[in-house]
Amino acid sequence: MLQYFEPNQSSLNPNIDYGTPPGTSETLVSLSIDGTTISVPGGTSVLRAAALAGINIPRLCASDNLEAFGSCRMCAVEVEGRRGYPASCTTPVTEGMAVTTQNGKLAKLRRNIMELYISDHPLDCLTCPANGNCELQDVAGAVGLREVRYGFEGKNHLDAEVDDSNPYFSFDPSKCIVCSRCVRACEEVQGTFALTIDGRGFDSSVSAGQNDPFMDSECVSCGACVQACPTSTLMEKSVIDAGQPEHSVVTTCAYCGVGCSFKAEMKGDQLVRMVPYKGGQANHGHSCVKGRFAFGYATHKDRISEPMIRESINDPWQVVSWDEAIAFSAKKLKDTQSRYGRESIGGITSSRCTNEETYLVQKLIRAAFGNNNTDTCARVCHSPTGFGLKTTLGESAGTQTFDSVLKADTIVVIGANPTDAHPVFASQMRRRLRQGAKLIVIDPRRIDLLKTPHGTEGIHLPLRPGTNVAMVNAMAHVIVTEGLQDQAFIESRCEPKPFNQWREFIAEERNSPEAMEAVTGVSAELVRQAARAYGEAGNGAIYYGLGVTEHSQGSTMVMGIANLAMATGNIGREGVGVNPLRGQNNVQGSCDMGSFPHELPGYQHVGDPAVRARFQDDWGVAIDDEPGLRIPNMFDAAIAGSFKAMYVQGEDIAQSDPNTQHVEAALSALDCLIVQDIFLNETAKYAHVLLPGSTFLEKNGTFTNAERRINRVRKVMAPVAGLEDWEVTMALSNALGYPMNYKHPSEIMDEIARLTPTFTGVSYDKLEKLGSIQWPCNEKHPDGTPTMHALDFPIGKGRFAVTEYVASEEKTNRRFPLLLTTGRILSQYNVGAQTRRTENSHWHHEDVLDIHPSDAELRGIREGDWLGISSRVGQTVLRARISDRMLPGVVYTTFHHPGSGANVVTTDSSDWATNCPEYKVTAVQVEKVSQPSAWQRHFQQFDQRQHGLLEPAASQTEPSGVSARK
Amino acid sequence: MSDQQLRNLIRMINQISINNLHQGDENQAAEVVATHVKKFWARSMKQQIIDYAESDGTELSTVSRLAVKQLAVPQQA
Repeated sequence: MLQYFEPNQSSLNPNIDYGTPPGTSETLVSLSIDGTTISVPGGTSVLRAAALAGINIPRLCASDNLEAFGSCRMCAVEVEGRRGYPASCTTPVTEGMAVTTQNGKLAKLRRNIMELYISDHPLDCLTCPANGNCELQDVAGAVGLREVRYGFEGKNHLDAEVDDSNPYFSFDPSKCIVCSRCVRACEEVQGTFALTIDGRGFDSSVSAGQNDPFMDSECVSCGACVQACPTSTLMEKSVIDAGQPEHSVVTTCAYCGVGCSFKAEMKGDQLVRMVPYKGGQANHGHSCVKGRFAFGYATHKDRISEPMIRESINDPWQVVSWDEAIAFSAKKLKDTQSRYGRESIGGITSSRCTNEETYLVQKLIRAAFGNNNTDTCARVCHSPTGFGLKTTLGESAGTQTFDSVLKADTIVVIGANPTDAHPVFASQMRRRLRQGAKLIVIDPRRIDLLKTPHGTEGIHLPLRPGTNVAMVNAMAHVIVTEGLQDQAFIESRCEPKPFNQWREFIAEERNSPEAMEAVTGVSAELVRQAARAYGEAGNGAIYYGLGVTEHSQGSTMVMGIANLAMATGNIGREGVGVNPLRGQNNVQGSCDMGSFPHELPGYQHVGDPAVRARFQDDWGVAIDDEPGLRIPNMFDAAIAGSFKAMYVQGEDIAQSDPNTQHVEAALSALDCLIVQDIFLNETAKYAHVLLPGSTFLEKNGTFTNAERRINRVRKVMAPVAGLEDWEVTMALSNALGYPMNYKHPSEIMDEIARLTPTFTGVSYDKLEKLGSIQWPCNEKHPDGTPTMHALDFPIGKGRFAVTEYVASEEKTNRRFPLLLTTGRILSQYNVGAQTRRTENSHWHHEDVLDIHPSDAELRGIREGDWLGISSRVGQTVLRARISDRMLPGVVYTTFHHPGSGANVVTTDSSDWATNCPEYKVTAVQVEKVSQPSAWQRHFQQFDQRQHGLLEPAASQTEPSGVSARK
Repeated sequence: MSDQQLRNLIRMINQISINNLHQGDENQAAEVVATHVKKFWARSMKQQIIDYAESDGTELSTVSRLAVKQLAVPQQA
């Protein structure tokens, strides 16, 4: 007998649609289907049980990511002892049931149904874009439809108009069979509820919003409907253009920290479409508009396709061979070191590149440069997470899997905007909110999660930017003084002395919600309500983003969050935990891989002689025992003249780092800037060497997502310039005299495993076998660790930290009366280098300044006006959008377009522990203006000039004997 | 070293101090600050703040000054 009880479903084939979601009961039920006996969990549908037994029942409206609907009636079966022909998708299995899936009556029934469908369906299969991959076509074939007795002349929908408004997919209602799969996918999978069935009976039709074009509706273009459609009604335009793909490769998305798995569906080396992979353990077959559709940048004409060099940033670029570019770079770096000393150079690893590439860049710096001047863009986003969680919980990482949220009773979201920045995880959150979990949002801005359709009503604590620590202390005060703490957890799992110190501190009246009301601006009663909702929840889970870390007290706030979780015992099981939502695809990985100047891979301090000894042994070179410079320190040292050369892989510091004019001064002061990137980004405009980068589609490696999950990245096309990024770093190292000889990134991972205690069990072979691995993966946890700190902490017991609120130095006054805070939008990603070069720009073609109606009225500002935004360090100009999402006194913008200059305004005020910039709090004034700011005018000129310097280089790309002109 | 670089270092260490004032008396707080700086600051940054403390030091907070003093001991050893 076949037995199917696999709660983790690891034996299921992600390429098969089992028809309905799995049954969740622990009781097994036995039945016979077409004479095959099978045992499945109670609650399983007959349709799914049959699929598990390898028996395929035809169906049109069923899919295993949607609840059974029972509308197409195609999956009708016969059940012994029951009357009629029940739909197998809506019929649960019962003990001893005998099912027949095929006989003459059923065949006739199915053929008749199909005949009705086809009587109102175009017969253009040969020219239809779904040809070869159409469920309707397949089922018509399976049921043996031979004729349509009704003819095609009657009333029909064949003339329905196509909606082409979405840039990525078209909607052709003439092909629609009204199975509702798209509507249900929008509801159940994505949680947006943008689609509905409009009209009744024969007039029923799928409608976006209230019969709007898709682009004008609430559709967020996640693609769930397109994937659910069994016909070509909803179809990717790329497939309409190119035809059906012929092979596919499973890989990992290179956008946000959710790390969705996709099937890259190919035609030769052309990427036709990205389809979310059901076997992906982070996304379970769901996607967002970025990962699903915005991959066109990979083949954009702006890609840098050849290495280039120049002596000065005012010179035109010269196209050279890889060898020449590497030799030029190595000579510059060596010359700089011999002139200014060993510590005068450094580099930045990328949170967009793979673990293996990141590891190699920091190794290059420590071994070949001979110093620890390595840092990564995590400096400017999640470095406080590393510091804060390591101090309190003993490990610099989130504690849960994404799926854990499905067991949370209260979800707390602090300084994060999941529906825009981590959309696929937000869909999981919304699923849980629809099931009744409570929501608490601590954010100056009213985020979309608060209006989750059919979700519970959330509590929003709209605090003043910069007062997070005051807020978390007030909540902890309520927990402690109202007796909501988990005493058993505290006693068994936490160090008593730090706890007692913290308890004494937090219970002081000055930390009460009433005392903090004047600081945070949030009513004490609301704070008490929220604290109770978290403290009294069976399972309370905290998710946070850059609205926590990017503050002068970012690290303190992370510790405050950990305190809150420990005090309530919300650590160490599913449904709870402390979860940083990582901005970029491999922020977790770049931190794990030793990108920070004070830590070797695996967060091992460079000052520890035993750690250094192991690395020195393996690498065959002495490692400096002192930390190196962090990114802001590098800028300061560059301006001071002691830091002269830099190797930057895949990060655009000129756009993403705060106080742009300061960064520009630092970059201009360098003798040698080597930029490795896929585009001429803002940083590259200050570079002397431009090394073409490769996209995630062009290389092998791994990314580690926000839940510590290591996922494989697989090459689907050749790198535009011939080399994967790790190969370039290797070449540079060899040219500098430190040999590196890896043949494949798997060998780099083997080295990482050798040297990193939390990675000892990780290998490409195991990744193939398990699909993905959540570190720690070692002898103690051979298959990885989905939930951390279940029994103890890496530091033994948890350590509470006293979190005194210290107000930011960035204060409002008469000159700068408003607080500017920044964030992201769904369609654009980070600095926008990728998404701006895709059709995603249809949704967001410029950054705007959100300003509250009362602040706008005070200044005579109307929607669309040009606004000058001045801070203590700079000025920029953006268009106004009137919005009451923030309280009066707070303005908001995004930073996706370089010309917006959001970071011209942000200051270099930073987190006390990690120097993570305080992007989220800048005191500004806003006024109506008539022209772009001086910086913006300069930016435009500089931008044009630098693109001009690139043009002659591009025209040199014709084959020639000598490509270098020196 | 530029004025700006030094100004930033002073601001950074004073910020670390003010965020650790709760760690007991001034000496205990200074120890925490010194440990933090030892662990996270580059060699050149430590040297610059030590040089400043020895030559002027007026802009350092009390705890910062004590911390730099502790820092200077192993540096010179």
